[in-house]
Amino acid sequence: MNNVFALAGVVIKELYRRKDFYVLFVMTALLTLLLGAMRFFDNADIVRFLKEICLLLIWISTLVIAITTAARQIPAERESRTIFPLLAKPVSRWELIAGKFAGCWLACVIALVVFYFFFGVITATHEHAWPGVIFLQAFWMHAVFLAVVVALVLLGSVAFTAQSSNATISFIVVLGILFAGGHLDKTAAGLRGTNGDIVRALHFAIPHLELYDIRDFVVHDLAKIDWQYIGEATLYGALYTGLLLGLTWLVFRRKTLTL
Amino acid sequence: MIRLVLALVFTACFTLATMLEPRFQALRPQSSGAGGVVGALMGETRELFATQSFIEADVYFHSGYYPTMFDKKETELDMNSQEADTNNVPLVNGRKHVDEEAGEGFLGPPRDWLERFGRHFIPTEHTHLASVKLREILPWLRMSADLDPHRVQTYVTASFWLRTAMNQPGEAKQFLREGLRANPDSFEILVELGYVFDQDEKNPRVARNLFDAALQKWNKQAAAGLESFPKDKAEIMAKAKIEILDGLVRTDEELNDLKQLLEDLEALKVVSPYPAGIEKTIQETRAKLGAPLSGRPD
Repeated sequence: MNNVFALAGVVIKELYRRKDFYVLFVMTALLTLLLGAMRFFDNADIVRFLKEICLLLIWISTLVIAITTAARQIPAERESRTIFPLLAKPVSRWELIAGKFAGCWLACVIALVVFYFFFGVITATHEHAWPGVIFLQAFWMHAVFLAVVVALVLLGSVAFTAQSSNATISFIVVLGILFAGGHLDKTAAGLRGTNGDIVRALHFAIPHLELYDIRDFVVHDLAKIDWQYIGEATLYGALYTGLLLGLTWLVFRRKTLTL
Repeated sequence: MIRLVLALVFTACFTLATMLEPRFQALRPQSSGAGGVVGALMGETRELFATQSFIEADVYFHSGYYPTMFDKKETELDMNSQEADTNNVPLVNGRKHVDEEAGEGFLGPPRDWLERFGRHFIPTEHTHLASVKLREILPWLRMSADLDPHRVQTYVTASFWLRTAMNQPGEAKQFLREGLRANPDSFEILVELGYVFDQDEKNPRVARNLFDAALQKWNKQAAAGLESFPKDKAEIMAKAKIEILDGLVRTDEELNDLKQLLEDLEALKVVSPYPAGIEKTIQETRAKLGAPLSGRPD
């Protein structure tokens, strides 16, 4: 377990050494503050529009951080040949995968804390009240979402040869699921025969990442979600994360590491 | 030497650019619409984004409970509702919204356990924003107008909510005037401007002039071929005429101009779905006209 934490620590250090996070955070903050300064029809208390844009920017930024961070982990170790001394430590391949996952996910959660703190401050200054429980639920669901994404990208990093192709495919898959994942059953209902069966099977097979997007609840001040459902969604996410990490290990344990 | 040559080339490029730019500018098709930087950057797609911004205002009006492009095809009712949204009927005047999503709504019963579970993470309650909270839809309407200044319904909708829910008739008037500058032939904007003067500024004389101007614009558009309009457009036109005549009748009553009132009532009777009620008012007005007119304004 110490090996896993040591590897995770290195990945977290990498997050604050690289410029990606700072650039994305500054961009998000600048755009949000700029929008916050705008007045529409002499109304100073308009806040939902600002919350929506800020949350959208946070989602985009954290998705970029998660995918780019996770996609470069194993290919970078191979390219710089540091993977050989690492595995000779001895660190097992499973520990390497687990360490890289834990590091990437924790790095994303740290970034998420900063982003949500900023979002909370912006919301509080405009609404003159601290965000409610739904804010914490949105944060947690976002964190679970990122865990599944990081696991998915790690699988891609051992399956695809190039880092860029993995990142591009991961973006397409994640955005595709977010956009259409929740509607596959409706699409399947409109299709007949084998096509309908394939879409229906896909509907049950893919990780439904759109479940974790509860921005509407935060933006429109809707009532909090029952914690039982949050727990079930967490379990669902944990199962998919475990499955994807297991698959990553299966591919990686037999993989030749020489370039 | 090489520096001199580079400086010469740069000077030649700059001179050529100053000569060619106005010529290319003249070759480009001149757009009548406003748009500025946004228009230049987005081109024709801005109309698409303007419609999307308008729909987003409706999404906010329903606090996120709104059919997606996947839900529209589900039932005819939802498809009609969406059609209505793009034609701006529910939100347009704010007073015509029909709660058609009673019962299961556009979501319908869940097909499987996954969908049932997923419903806990999306808004599933049909609600409408009320009073001052309606201000939340304004940024989207502003954006819609900025992207497509020729989208008349954006001005009318924003004005309606500004003067009724937010008690900001001044802002409504300013926005409508902005809309009128971009759409000088719009009778819808004139009608809404008439409401601002009649109901909020209590100035029936100006309001009547605006309704009258709206009727003239309506007649001009109808003369261009009411029969050739598609069914939904023809229906909107017919409703608009009733609305304009209704505004004229109301301002006539406020001005106590009985002669004009009689004329407008006669015109309204022809197009109104309730001619019997109007006939009764006509008789009452005729009776008043027969009596000595005491309260007639100058």
